[in-house]
Amino acid sequence: MSAPLLEFHDVTVAYGRRPVLWNIDLTIDHACLFGIIGPNGAGKSTLLKAALGLVPTTGGTVTFFGRPLADGRRRVGYVPQRETVDWDFPVTVGDVVLMGTYARLGWFRRPGRGERRLARECLARVGLEDVADRQIGRLSGGQQQRVFLARALAQEADVYLLDEPLAGVDARSQETIFEVLAALRDSGRLVVVVHHDLRTAAAWFDRVALIDRRLVATGPTATVLTPENLERTYAGQIELLDELGRAVAARRRTP
Amino acid sequence: MMSGIPDVVCCVATAPAWLAVPPNTVVVAAGVAAVGVAAGVIGSLAVLRKRALAGDAAAHAALAGVALAFLATGRRDLPVLLGGGLLAALAALGVLVLLRRYTRTRDDAATAIVLSVSFGCGIALVAGLTSRGVPDAAGLEHFLLGHTAALTVADAALLATVSAAAVVVAVVGLKEATLVAFDPGFAAASGWPVAAIDYCLVGLVAAMVIVGLPAAGAVLVTALVVIPPVAARQWTDRVPTMLLLAGLIGLAAAVFGVAASALVPRLATGPLVVLAAATLLAVSLLAAPERGLLPRAWRRRSARRGAA
Repeated sequence: MSAPLLEFHDVTVAYGRRPVLWNIDLTIDHACLFGIIGPNGAGKSTLLKAALGLVPTTGGTVTFFGRPLADGRRRVGYVPQRETVDWDFPVTVGDVVLMGTYARLGWFRRPGRGERRLARECLARVGLEDVADRQIGRLSGGQQQRVFLARALAQEADVYLLDEPLAGVDARSQETIFEVLAALRDSGRLVVVVHHDLRTAAAWFDRVALIDRRLVATGPTATVLTPENLERTYAGQIELLDELGRAVAARRRTP
Repeated sequence: MMSGIPDVVCCVATAPAWLAVPPNTVVVAAGVAAVGVAAGVIGSLAVLRKRALAGDAAAHAALAGVALAFLATGRRDLPVLLGGGLLAALAALGVLVLLRRYTRTRDDAATAIVLSVSFGCGIALVAGLTSRGVPDAAGLEHFLLGHTAALTVADAALLATVSAAAVVVAVVGLKEATLVAFDPGFAAASGWPVAAIDYCLVGLVAAMVIVGLPAAGAVLVTALVVIPPVAARQWTDRVPTMLLLAGLIGLAAAVFGVAASALVPRLATGPLVVLAAATLLAVSLLAAPERGLLPRAWRRRSARRGAA
């Protein structure tokens, strides 16, 4: 049997003395659309960052394809949160997508014709081929998010980690992003998405993990998103109970 | 007007009067112009990576290094003094890194502390040396506000060489520097050593403020690193073009400063360089076609008229 695509083993992360994630054990064996769901401050983004070595872990290990990240970094694509960069930066949409090819190019080598063609194709896949020469700040939030997705596509990875790619995004961009992610899954890639919206989670993900600093539950979406599990995850967040009720109702309606 | 430099008149008697500058001044101007170009180029990368203030701390710390180098060697050769300045600047940046890592001092506070403390050391050293009447120590004050009139041809060659090397490094590493400046998280996730690239960038900035000391002095040299990039950003949405424009703006400011202080030998160069750069910045902020205040106001007005 082949090694799991992504495995967290007993991962603990603390910022200073404040623990953010406790003893996360999570194994993803197969290509699928995998949602990481939980309330604000549950450590969802931190989990991705820990997997990518962007925050130090205080304990535990993360492996991709059964090996440490350093052995398979080229096969891992990443979409950070949109708010983490300065959108007034003097680069064009096409330039940003080209950045997905930089790791493959290595030190000091500049992108050539092949990289430019790949970048154009990736932009077309997210429906933005017409704005390649525009400065990135002149796009809408949803378009900016699609640029980040196109950059990840240009990484030509086997595992994709996306941090809130659907937050604050218009309906058309949401649909495009979801279609691209589903196509990646269908072509045998693992797509891990940090997601906060329970209503859409039930419809979009094949499998989910519910996280509230600890792993509450994980497995196929239909068996994990139960009222009991959601209550344990969102415990004490009264304003979310209404949303929770609607989410569960929606899930029951869709087959 | 040229009476202060009589040897010039005979050698360029046939040239127009405004060309009648000593050849020495031309060479020095070329050296300082190279510094202006390189400061604009390196400064662009530093401003994009939001590391401009580190250069200011390095520049202020350099004064102490200059004074210590003079104290240790008893010589006032530019390479010796700038070498001391560079060591002090790197030491200050090292302290800055340690302060941030091992204490919980915030970035801006840590920078302000390192800047003011190291500058205080420098001022005390220079004042001490000068007031004791150490021969030659008076020249150290020139590193406070810049003074190009006394530079030799060899000095100018040194400044130009360091500047050219810095530009080469920046151009070779432009892809990596741009990636890290735009999205350090993505860069780190895809395997780039972000911290090492940052150290290289800050090291380049330190080198630039050191060779900028004769032109603008410890207090003002940061302007040479910050103002041209900000002005250049107004005119373009591409990093390579921004580097080029910032280099040209830095060149214009540096040449103006050298020329003006050659004509009025007692005048410090730094303020003139800064004023020239600031003038170009003001024009850029007001008039740049896309981002300038005036064209934007004009577009808003015509949009309102169109709507009415």
